[in-house]
Amino acid sequence: MTAPTEFEWMILSSALLIFVAIVFGLVKYLWNQPLRNGPSYFLGIEVPAGFYEGPGKSWLKSYRAMLIALHLALAVFFGICFAIRRWDLIPLCGFWALLYVASMLAFHAWTRHKLGTNLPVRAVAIAMESRRLSDYIYWPLEALSASIIALSWGLLLHHDGMHIDWLPPLQMTWMALVLPAKILLARSGSPLPAERTEEHFKYQDAMRRNGISYLNIWSWGCLVLLFGVALGRNCSPAVLPWLGWLVGGVFLAVFAYMMIVIFSGIRLAATLGRDLRPTGSFATPFRRAALPKMRRSYLIWFAVWIVPILASSVYAVIR
Amino acid sequence: MFLTLQTNDKRPLYQQITDGIKSLIAGGELREGASLPSVRQVAGDLGVNLNTVAVAYRQLQDEGFVTVRHGAGAVIAARNPGRIDQAELLPPLRTVLTQFILAGLTTHEIEVAVRQQLSLLQQKGGAQ
Repeated sequence: MTAPTEFEWMILSSALLIFVAIVFGLVKYLWNQPLRNGPSYFLGIEVPAGFYEGPGKSWLKSYRAMLIALHLALAVFFGICFAIRRWDLIPLCGFWALLYVASMLAFHAWTRHKLGTNLPVRAVAIAMESRRLSDYIYWPLEALSASIIALSWGLLLHHDGMHIDWLPPLQMTWMALVLPAKILLARSGSPLPAERTEEHFKYQDAMRRNGISYLNIWSWGCLVLLFGVALGRNCSPAVLPWLGWLVGGVFLAVFAYMMIVIFSGIRLAATLGRDLRPTGSFATPFRRAALPKMRRSYLIWFAVWIVPILASSVYAVIR
Repeated sequence: MFLTLQTNDKRPLYQQITDGIKSLIAGGELREGASLPSVRQVAGDLGVNLNTVAVAYRQLQDEGFVTVRHGAGAVIAARNPGRIDQAELLPPLRTVLTQFILAGLTTHEIEVAVRQQLSLLQQKGGAQ
């Protein structure tokens, strides 16, 4: 048992921040998520009047029980890591994220199966304005992030015969590659109801921009770490502890900013969409109801992206 | 600006898209030089096949409402009101009026409906 290194402190602090943010999100937003569109909806699905006085009670109870179980599992996992002082196990909490997404998707699917999807709308509308990638993706910033990746790998490859563990830089590079997801999000859209179309349009656009902001900040967090690791391999041992703290500080600042952006995005979406018919939750003659909103292409990308991350995290622990 | 499609409309979807865009042009919402969203975007948002939207855009192009420029996509073409002979427009008007009469509407009701639709178009602004 040893004291955590700078890198482990970073993981530890991030884990604590993640946990605090997750608990905050649970209390502030997730707990009442089924009611976010008002008492006429359960998780975006239209329900009859008085639903929450009748069967809605047990639906809400099941949803909240699932949330408590998921969050308890995470708390227990963090507790075990602390108890046995295995900081290196913390990145495995990525599996929890996967479990969380899968559970929420399964719950949504079950809800739709049991409560039925919303009735088709009589008229749908689509915006006749071009949605260009450059409206959502700032290409100079993408070029800068690509340059940082190239520079980091340049530094890593030109080390002076020093032993390098290639797994962390490979993981960080892969984790930072979220441009395909941003493109998919920028291109995603669904028919809007013909009533209050402008408000629906603004809501859908805000959701799209939120998703892209999260991915941007995530990617920059990974880039900071990658660049820090690359610099660490090329600087004198005397500077190393300072560099560790500096990179850690910047990473935590990016991370804290990410949390602020996520929560303000959630708040904005909640404000814009509070009393709107949930976009994508109703069938049209052209497309089936699309709840949950994750498109097939996005799910495929997510699977292709997350599997190597999880597999390499397991390998890092068992090797 | 939005293109609205009625889900109980009996016209084929590509026709609804074509007519809807024409209506936006007539109402002055889509002006000369304005870009239309890409076929991929419209098809993706509606959840329909790319070909459905491509056929609608091609029809608009054939009728001279839209020009396709490389790099800019489909763009609203300059309006040339004198280009179409009024006699060409009368048969479709007659077809619609026949449908109204067969549906049992009186002359007055038909006049009110026509005036209402015309005023709706003009309210959107720019209708000549």
